[in-house]
Amino acid sequence: MDNKQIIGLLVHNHPGVLLRVTSLISRRGFNIDSLTVSPAGIEGYSRMTIRINGDDNQVDQFISQMMKIVDVKKAEVLPEDASVASELILIKISTAEHDNNDILAVTSKYHASLVNLGNHSMTFRASGTPTEIDTLVSEVKEFGILEMARTGIAALENGDKLLANVE
Amino acid sequence: MKLNGSEIIAECLLEQGVDTVFGYPGGAVLNIYDALYKYSDRITHILSAHEQGAAHAADGYARTTGKCGVVIATSGPGATNLITGIATAYMDSIPLVAITGNVTNDLLARDSFQEVDICGISMPITKHNFIVKNVADLANVIRKAFRIAMSGRKGPVLIDIPKDVTGAVWEYEPVKPEPIINPTLSSSEDFAEAAKLIAQSKRPMIYMGGGVVSADAEKQLLEFAEKIDCPVATSVMGLGGFPSSHRLFMGTIGMHGGYETGKATDNCDLILTIGARFSDRVAGDRNKFGKDAKIIQLDIDRAEINKNVKIDAYILGDLKDTLATLTEAVEKTTRDEWINQVAEWGKMGKVTETPKSDDYAHPYHVIEAVRKLTKDTDIIVTDVGQHQMWVSQKYRFEQPRTWCTSGGLGTMGYGLGAAIGSAVAHPDRRVVLFTGDGSFHMNLNELATVCSYDLPITVIVLNNTVLGMVRQWQKLFYGRRFSQTDPHRKTDFAKLAEAFGVKGMRIHNDDDAEEVLAEAFSTTKPVVIDCRISPDENVLPMIPPGKTVDEMITKME
Repeated sequence: MDNKQIIGLLVHNHPGVLLRVTSLISRRGFNIDSLTVSPAGIEGYSRMTIRINGDDNQVDQFISQMMKIVDVKKAEVLPEDASVASELILIKISTAEHDNNDILAVTSKYHASLVNLGNHSMTFRASGTPTEIDTLVSEVKEFGILEMARTGIAALENGDKLLANVE
Repeated sequence: MKLNGSEIIAECLLEQGVDTVFGYPGGAVLNIYDALYKYSDRITHILSAHEQGAAHAADGYARTTGKCGVVIATSGPGATNLITGIATAYMDSIPLVAITGNVTNDLLARDSFQEVDICGISMPITKHNFIVKNVADLANVIRKAFRIAMSGRKGPVLIDIPKDVTGAVWEYEPVKPEPIINPTLSSSEDFAEAAKLIAQSKRPMIYMGGGVVSADAEKQLLEFAEKIDCPVATSVMGLGGFPSSHRLFMGTIGMHGGYETGKATDNCDLILTIGARFSDRVAGDRNKFGKDAKIIQLDIDRAEINKNVKIDAYILGDLKDTLATLTEAVEKTTRDEWINQVAEWGKMGKVTETPKSDDYAHPYHVIEAVRKLTKDTDIIVTDVGQHQMWVSQKYRFEQPRTWCTSGGLGTMGYGLGAAIGSAVAHPDRRVVLFTGDGSFHMNLNELATVCSYDLPITVIVLNNTVLGMVRQWQKLFYGRRFSQTDPHRKTDFAKLAEAFGVKGMRIHNDDDAEEVLAEAFSTTKPVVIDCRISPDENVLPMIPPGKTVDEMITKME
C-alpha cells in the first residue's frame, strides 16, 4: 500500500541524535524514503523531516516510538493539505541525442534553471513539491539522466502553526 | 566544594539514595574504584566474578526493591560483558544505571587498548545513554540518567565516562532529586469510555503484566478486580502482582499458561490489559488473540498501544493512578456464572503427570515442596528454560517483587547474578534460585561471589542433563532429531559447589526431596542442590508458537 506521510521532528542538537533516530527506524522496520536534518532556527534544536510509507497505525507507532527517544522533543504528522513541503533537485541531462531546445522546453515547465552547461550535458536546478520533482524526473528521463541529487523533503505547516513551542 | 569526577560520581549516587552498587574494577575505572574505597562506609560495592553477573545482580536488586540498580564496569570487554545484562533489563523494563569507564578523551577514536564504542553498542538496548567528555557535565548527567531510568516506562541507562573525566576536579554542589511524577495522559472521557465497556461486559478478564509490579500498583489492581469481580490472568512478568491464592486468580497466560486462561481469552467479551504488552509468548496468534473481545489497555507507554494487537480503548498513565481512577468510575458487580465457568475450565485443563520414578524427582513435586518451606516474602529467582516455566506454573506467589526471571529476553545464565542482587538487597530473606543444568553452566562462576559474601541463596539445579526446552521443541517440531541438546556433561553440581566453598546436596527422587530441602532450608548458608529430573519431562500444557488455545498440547510421548 502506498500511503506516504511527512513527519516533522524537533530534536535536541546533541551528538548522536541522528543515529538514535535512524537506528530506531531501522530496528522497528519502518519504511522511509526521505530524511533531512537542519538547524531548527531555535537555539539547541535541529529539525528532521521524514517521509514514511505506511498505514495510519504504522505512522502512529512511528510517532510514539520517536517520542520515546529522550532527545526528541516533538514528533508530529505534517498533513499534506495543511503544509508546505518542498525539495530541491540538481539533475544532469544528456544533450547527446536531443536538441537542447527540446530539453529546455520541458525543464522550463518546472521552472528548472540551467546552472551548468557541459559539452554533452546540461545541469538544472529545480525546487518544488516532491510530486512536482517526481514528475520532472519522469519527463526528462527520455533525454537521458546522467546524474541527479535530491535534497530530500523540507516541510512546515501552513499558517501560524508551529511543531512545538520551545521556551 | 571541589571534588574529582569519581568523587562527584559517588556524591551523585548518594544524592539518589544509592547505598549498594555492583561491579568489577579495571584500568579505565581505577579512579572510580579509588573513590569507592574512600566512600566505602556509605556505598557498599559487591564484586562479581564477571561483569555479566554484576549486571544481572543490579537487575535482581532493582526488581526486588523497586529501586534503581547500579552497575560499574571498565572500558572495552568490561563494558561489552554488561550488554546481555542491560538487554535483559531493557526487555523487562527494569531501571538500571550502568556506569562504564572509557579510555581518556585524547585516546578516544584511536582503537586504543580496551576502547570500545559502548554508547553505539548499547543504543538499541538502553532508554538513553551518555558519554561524558567534560567533568563540568558529569553531575547533571548522572542525575538525568537516574531520572530517565526511573520515570515513565522504566529501563536501563548507560553512562560512559573517559578516564580523564573521572580524575578531573570540578566544583560540586549537592542537589536533592525532584520527585518523579508520571502524569495521567488520558481524559475523563477516556475513563468514561473504558467504564462503559466494562459495564457492558458480561465476561471480562484481566490480563496483567510486569507493569503492575513496576508501578507498585498491586493494591489498586486488587481493588479494581474485586470491584468488577473479574478473573485475572498474568504474564510471566506479572507474577506476584496479584495473589495466587485469590479466588479471581487464574494463573499465567500464553504458551505455557493454563487451559482456563486460554479458554477465557477465547471466550471472554472484554480483555483488560494492564501493564502488559501482548508479547508473542502471550498472544501467539496476535490476529486471533481475544478474537471475540473488546480490548482495553492501561499502560504508561503510548507506543504499546496498537503495537501488536488492535486496541478498542486505552488509558495512559501511572497504573497506580489510572487504576484508582478507573475503579471509582465502575460499578460494583458480581459475575458468579462467568467465574464458575472459568473454574470449570480450570478442572478440565489438568495435565497428565508422569508416573513417579526411583531415578528422578518430579519438578512439580520439588517446586511444591519448596513452597511449603518458603515464606511469602522469600524471593524466587529462575534462569531460563523448562524449569522457569514449571516454576511460573506451580509456585504460588503472594507478593510483588518476590519474583525475578528474565521474561522478555529469555536470558539463560541470568539467575545466579539476579539471586545475588536479591540476596544483597534483602539479607533477612531467603532467596531460592531454580535453575537448569544448561542455564547454570552459563554463569555458575558467580558461586564464587555467593561464597565470598556468604549469601543465603538456595540453588536448586533441576538437572535433566539435557537442554530440555530446546529438546522439547525438537521432539515436537523437528522429528526428535536432538541436535546438540544432549551435551553429555558429567558435572557433579554438589561437588562443584563444594569446590567454590558452598555446601552441595543431592535430591535423587521424590522420596528424598522433602528431607533434603528441609535440611537446606534449616540453614541460612548458601546451598546448591543437584536435583535429578527426567530428561523426558516436558512443559505442558503448551500452545505451539503462532497458535491459539484450540491447538493446545496437553500430552506428549
